[in-house]
Amino acid sequence: MKYFLKKTAGLLATLLAVSFLVFAAFAVIPGDPATAMLGTEATPARVEALREELGLNAPLLVRYLRWIGDFLRGDFGNSYRYNMSVMSMIGDKLPVTLTLTAISFVLIVVISIPLGVACARYAGGMLDHAIVVANQIIMAVPAFFSGILITLVFGLILHLFVPGGYVSWQQDRLAFLGYMIFPSIAIALPKSAMAVKLLRTSILSEMKLDYVRTAYSRGNGTRAVLYRHVLRNALIPVITFLGMALADMVAGSIIVEQVFNIPGLGRILLTSISNRDYPVVQAIIVCIAFLVIAVNFLVDLLYKAVDPRITLD
Amino acid sequence: MLDVTGLNLEFHDHLIPETVVRDFELHMEPGEIVGLVGESGSGKSMTALAIAGLLSRHDMQKRGKILFEGEDILTCARSRLRALQGDDIAMIFQEPMTSLNPVLPVGWQVEEALRIHRPEMDREERKRRALQMLSDVELEDAERVYRAYPHQLSGGMRQRVMIAAAMICEPRLLIADEPTTALDVTIQYQIVRLLLRINREKKTAILFISHDLSLVRRLCRRVVVMQGGGIVESGDAETVFFHPKEPYTKKLIAAIPRCEKGEEGGEQDAHGGGRTLLEVSNVRIGFAQERRSLFEKRKIRPVLRGVSLTLREGEVLGLVGESGCGKSTLARVILGLERQDAGSVSHFSEHPQMVFQDPYGSLNPARKVGWILEEPLRIRGVRAPRERREKALSMLQKVGLGPEIADRYPRQLSGGQRQRVCIGAALMLEPKLLIADEAVSALDVTVQDQILELLLSLKEEMGLSVLFISHDMRVVYRMSDRVLVMRDGQIVEQGSVEQVYFAPCHPYTKRLLEAADLGGKRAG
Repeated sequence: MKYFLKKTAGLLATLLAVSFLVFAAFAVIPGDPATAMLGTEATPARVEALREELGLNAPLLVRYLRWIGDFLRGDFGNSYRYNMSVMSMIGDKLPVTLTLTAISFVLIVVISIPLGVACARYAGGMLDHAIVVANQIIMAVPAFFSGILITLVFGLILHLFVPGGYVSWQQDRLAFLGYMIFPSIAIALPKSAMAVKLLRTSILSEMKLDYVRTAYSRGNGTRAVLYRHVLRNALIPVITFLGMALADMVAGSIIVEQVFNIPGLGRILLTSISNRDYPVVQAIIVCIAFLVIAVNFLVDLLYKAVDPRITLD
Repeated sequence: MLDVTGLNLEFHDHLIPETVVRDFELHMEPGEIVGLVGESGSGKSMTALAIAGLLSRHDMQKRGKILFEGEDILTCARSRLRALQGDDIAMIFQEPMTSLNPVLPVGWQVEEALRIHRPEMDREERKRRALQMLSDVELEDAERVYRAYPHQLSGGMRQRVMIAAAMICEPRLLIADEPTTALDVTIQYQIVRLLLRINREKKTAILFISHDLSLVRRLCRRVVVMQGGGIVESGDAETVFFHPKEPYTKKLIAAIPRCEKGEEGGEQDAHGGGRTLLEVSNVRIGFAQERRSLFEKRKIRPVLRGVSLTLREGEVLGLVGESGCGKSTLARVILGLERQDAGSVSHFSEHPQMVFQDPYGSLNPARKVGWILEEPLRIRGVRAPRERREKALSMLQKVGLGPEIADRYPRQLSGGQRQRVCIGAALMLEPKLLIADEAVSALDVTVQDQILELLLSLKEEMGLSVLFISHDMRVVYRMSDRVLVMRDGQIVEQGSVEQVYFAPCHPYTKRLLEAADLGGKRAG
């Protein structure tokens, strides 16, 4: 109980710090939303009037407190650029990014755990060598580049999907998922390669431990030892990695969304930054920060479930 | 029941095959207890693993026969072997800390062999048997232990759990590989008694492997002594122990530290007059326990409850007690690694140094020995590499190692060599006071002997004073001029070695001495 209170307090403090940092960053970088809205030909008087109207002339701290007050009341403000509320702008983009992340994550788990186990079980054999080599190559290719390769191979050569032909969930659910699978692969590949490598090493070092010998001495076969005894122990470092990877994916799907022309959070974040559209950027960053922290929290709980030696405090 | 003939084990992982076990022979009757004795590296554990069918390395060549009730363990099918393992042949290991799976509940692990070998048994019956077995190995509150995880139990309890898990299918042969080595003296004693009881009640034959001769003598009728992979001597325990034929057996028996009265009584007075080097008075320290709820008051668990001692120049002060009594905490307080809540520690010498128990874990594995030895000098600002190197090499010589060791990594050294390096590193700054915390506990008897010898001669050579901390009564006897006995954070008895060992006053001291079985009695 105390643990939860502590974690929640930490979560709030972090969100507060993140939102203030973003606010402060915009005060430092050049550019101004009023100019961005009106264009370079606008008269200084009009710009000044708009600044006053948007409340941009108030000191930084006052503006921040004003924003946070609205935010806490559930009002995320309006976009400077588009005449609509931030809520409605993010509302339909967030699920797209979350779906992309979720599919990628499931892919990572589904690919890496069986491969990692297979590698470790037949360590030193042909399969192991092949996977280790493939791993090295995949790990070295960044997600955006593998995204381009996937577009080329699966889109332009094999015609499995239409590059850039994004279909929304509302239009056609199956087509939406069918389209999302390819960017997800692009995101999942390098991370899966790392997870396979990590799991393989982890299992191999666990296999040398004393409790494995004990398990054999009770009449277990290699399979039983691997699945009933070793896997759970070996997963502990992998869970750490997957937690970090997941947080990284929530924040990092921006580039892959660009490559595959997916209208997720990433795209609107980029345009909003170049437009100096504070309220939108602010809300997105807070969203991402919240997700990252929530994921970390889940990882902690998962840890506890897997390893009884860990106490939460 | 068990017939091992002409067993040869060879490693083929190097260019030249290495023989680890040579022409091993063993015959065991049902219900018999046989001791297998030897130092580490003598091949006794390899033999045990081979008999248990647990040697499955591809780079190993196995010759000979291991007949268990007529079936050859070395050649029978994998599936047949698995059917025997855990059902007819069970094994317990040295390290109860690491031999249990840390993420699975104790009950699950105790039941595992039943799940494998008695698949027809239902869940309730399995649990009933496991609980019965846990109370059979004298664990109180079996229900709680059943639900616990290994890390929630003490070392002795874990070894009992290991025994329960091994005995659950009532095997005909139990192979116990150094089952008590990692435990405290009094707990060792309890485990040995437990094994004897199991042997008597369940008629389980036990192959007891140990380097501890006094335990083997207490437990076994028949003994096999191994050295360098081969059998040196074997036969009836009484004969082997009291009329050893082979020089190696004689050496092993002689290395058991023994209490014989009046050995160095004359020296006592010479030390009495020395200058005081260390004075600890009335030190108290407690550690906060975890709170169960937000409102509970934070409880303080007292660890040291008013400890006083003085250590004089040139003296070796022994500190004995079981693990958990606060010995190591006291050492940490003396070194300033831990801050006492009350009382004072006064040093009358510079740089007291410490040697730790684990020569494997306390050396940086990524650095060569030379670098490790030079480190204290580097910290003290000795800039010239040549000067540092020379000092390191001369220290290696002092601790009885050749100069070539400087370019080796710790993992390339044996346990005894590593402990020599640890001692060398501690002595680099020429301290007056050395604190040795269980410095020989992890070593073999004969290596122990050499390290104690080394410490004693360095003490003379460098004018050291030593605070020698150990749970091993015999080792403390050999090393110390004066002895303190510690229990639950208090000194319960102190005096000269002769007083404490031959005229103990406190019942706890008497119990420790009894558990340690200091050799003399049966030897006459």
